[in-house]
Amino acid sequence: MAQTETHKSEPVHGDRIHLPAPTHWPIILAFGCTMAAAGLVTSLWVSVFGAVLMLTGCVGWFRQVLPHESHEDVPVVVQTVTITSTRRLVERLKIAPEHRAHLPLETYPVLSGIKGGIAGGIAMIFPALIYGLIVQHSIWYPVNLLGGAGVANWSHVTTAQIASFHWSWLVIAIVIHGVTCLLVGLLYGAMLPMLPRHPVILGGVLGPLLWTGLLHSTMGIINPTLDARIQWGWFVVSQVIFGVVAGLVVAREGKIRTGGRLPFVARMGIEAPGLMESNLEAGPPRAQQPRNEEKH
Amino acid sequence: MADQTLPIGGSLDITPERSERQTLLEWLQAWVVTVDHKRLGILYVVYSIFFLLVAGAEALCIRIQLMIPNNHFVSPETYNELFTMHGTTMVFLVGMPILFGFGNYLVPLMIGARDMAFPRLNAFSFWLTAFGGLLLYYSFIGGFGLYGMGAAPDVGWFAYAPLTTKPFSVGHATDYWALALIVSGFGTLGTAINIIATTLSMRCKGMTLLRMPLFVWLMLVVSALTLITITPLTAAQVMLLIDRYLGGHFFDAQAGGSAIIWIHFFWIFGHPEVYVLVLPVFGVASEIIPVFSRKAIFGYPAMVAASAGIAFVSLGVWAHHMFTVGMTSVGNTFFVLSTMLVGIPTGIKIFNWLATIWGGKVQFRVPMMFCVAFLFQFLIAGLTGIMLSVAPWDWQLHNSYFVIAHFHYVLVGAIIFNIFAAIYYWFPKVTGKMLSETLGKWHFWLFFIGFHMTFDTMHFVGLLGMPRSIYTYEANRGWNHLNMIVSIGAFIQGIAVLVFAFNMMHSLRKGKEAGNDPWDAWTLEWSTPSPPPEYNFATDPEVYSRRPLWDIKHPDDPDWKYE
Repeated sequence: MAQTETHKSEPVHGDRIHLPAPTHWPIILAFGCTMAAAGLVTSLWVSVFGAVLMLTGCVGWFRQVLPHESHEDVPVVVQTVTITSTRRLVERLKIAPEHRAHLPLETYPVLSGIKGGIAGGIAMIFPALIYGLIVQHSIWYPVNLLGGAGVANWSHVTTAQIASFHWSWLVIAIVIHGVTCLLVGLLYGAMLPMLPRHPVILGGVLGPLLWTGLLHSTMGIINPTLDARIQWGWFVVSQVIFGVVAGLVVAREGKIRTGGRLPFVARMGIEAPGLMESNLEAGPPRAQQPRNEEKH
Repeated sequence: MADQTLPIGGSLDITPERSERQTLLEWLQAWVVTVDHKRLGILYVVYSIFFLLVAGAEALCIRIQLMIPNNHFVSPETYNELFTMHGTTMVFLVGMPILFGFGNYLVPLMIGARDMAFPRLNAFSFWLTAFGGLLLYYSFIGGFGLYGMGAAPDVGWFAYAPLTTKPFSVGHATDYWALALIVSGFGTLGTAINIIATTLSMRCKGMTLLRMPLFVWLMLVVSALTLITITPLTAAQVMLLIDRYLGGHFFDAQAGGSAIIWIHFFWIFGHPEVYVLVLPVFGVASEIIPVFSRKAIFGYPAMVAASAGIAFVSLGVWAHHMFTVGMTSVGNTFFVLSTMLVGIPTGIKIFNWLATIWGGKVQFRVPMMFCVAFLFQFLIAGLTGIMLSVAPWDWQLHNSYFVIAHFHYVLVGAIIFNIFAAIYYWFPKVTGKMLSETLGKWHFWLFFIGFHMTFDTMHFVGLLGMPRSIYTYEANRGWNHLNMIVSIGAFIQGIAVLVFAFNMMHSLRKGKEAGNDPWDAWTLEWSTPSPPPEYNFATDPEVYSRRPLWDIKHPDDPDWKYE
């Protein structure tokens, strides 16, 4: 229930409170600084005037704070003031069963995502190479296609050049492939426990299909040269193989508990005993219930 | 029932002694010598509102000039001065001072302190900022430029080299620009140091870092960011003065210097500066939205982390202003990706504000209306920002009115809207009077309509290829009607600001008494009388949660049970 509370017994305070005394030295010093600068665009004498003001301001300021700060006593006048709320009802927001408002209490460790990414990345190499051999008669074709996407000056290149071996393109392709697979693997590790039912199918098939659709619709704008050379059917096959293998590897790993119920600072790995203790000291033991939302 | 163990104790029971009637001179003298953070905060805000009107008038002159093709409302020389001074004024004399003014006024009150850590430095900082602004505008009278006496700076607010070198910028107009900003920059640094020291060392009992109001958190982050970003600008301006006065060649490419270095220095300051301006208004929104949704802020720790994240990432994005300068593929790619990264913490904030509103009992009072408009407009601004972060897109639209529209969506649609929200929200605390709700709604709707007429349309003018900073244009470009709409929108915004100014003056004299807590809010400043006494709190407050006044009002269901 809301309270209208009149404060009857306030903590002790004096009749007067010490506050820093008003002073004109800051404005004099600031004006001096401005004049000193303005002299550069007006006259040397303006700068000299500014320097004199600055010196005066500094001396005056120091004399006011040394050896002791100058204070003024401000009288305290007591009057009863109430703190109240006209909104007396506190309502808790209810979460309907159809609202999906849960976060996973268990998830896969980060390492499982990395393992999944590596395994999926290795697995998807094979359909890519098979595509290169069957369609383009060169295993370097898909490699160079990926490597070529990573360099800005990849244009006016012939099919024969793409089908031949290039050290630089191979290195670029390995870097792109490795980084992308690791990142997507990590994403799998994070997403799989949150996907409803059949996570491997959703993450391994539906996800790659959506990703391919997105790329297919935008690649013509992003990189038309690359778009013209991608065989989208083969692309889908390699993506799905990655998804299924990565998903299976992640799903086979054991789950660990999430830190969702830990305080934020603890989850951030910050050692903040003062903060933690002050929270605990603030009142009675914390209620073991989720944070309520209030509505008046 | 509450009793004397209430968290913020006797501080609630104190009101200031009624001062005796003063003469005008005494009254003026009291403001000039004050070291009280509240008075200095008010001075900052009044100073900024004055320059807001000046910069607004400059913007209207620009819009009259561009309203129709082949117009000669002002001369080309004056036009260059107008857009230079408009940009410089809005960023340095309006945006930063008004937000630091709010910080000055509110931070000590919100953390239960009696004043800032360094009250005299606080006064010194304000006066430096103020005199810096006056020095800049003195150039209209005393500046000697390319066109003789009375020449204000005309090199754009970013003052690119080599335009600022002696052969292209004769006289002192550019020097006024550099000197004035150096002077006011030192003022800004002083305030930033003060806010950091105050926040870290003067919090009341129980006010742990993770119980501070989000506005205080944001001011802390912004102050740290200010210390990092103002210094490169000041250094570059000193280098510019060395070039101009001592024969240096920092930015003279023909003598071995580099004009590109200036662009780097400027944007290392300039882009984080956008966040220096926008982060405090995030804090404003984070205070207002919960109160008018009648719910606690959603995801407080994530909001804090996102704020720090935005500040950190913002330091590594500056060269997205330089895609057309010609960088390597690696450079372009890095700055594309780092710029896009800003979208993550910013998105967290937008989702959390929406989640705060969701399920709440929303009250569309004037501060909340401005905040809701801010949410919508800032989202659009973020999306056009992501578009511009893509280098090929930027190559097409750099220096076009599309860019102008984008950053005005941030500076006006987000920052100015939230500044208005803040004024409507805290005006009762500062003055003891409520602003008129009816006039406030007129102000909001006029400003909202004018804003969208101007800046939505400006995107299309930019897409049609109109470059920024041009004096006039030919009638056959297809920009005529759009420019007319942009200018009409600007005038509607001008009328809205006049309504706001009238509301302030009228309410100050005849406004309804506010009482100490007119919004039924939860942070400490509302526990003091309106206006608060000189000493803020007679006894040091003590808090147990992020919403200390909620705990008092609802002792059966206090927040500390859940935090």
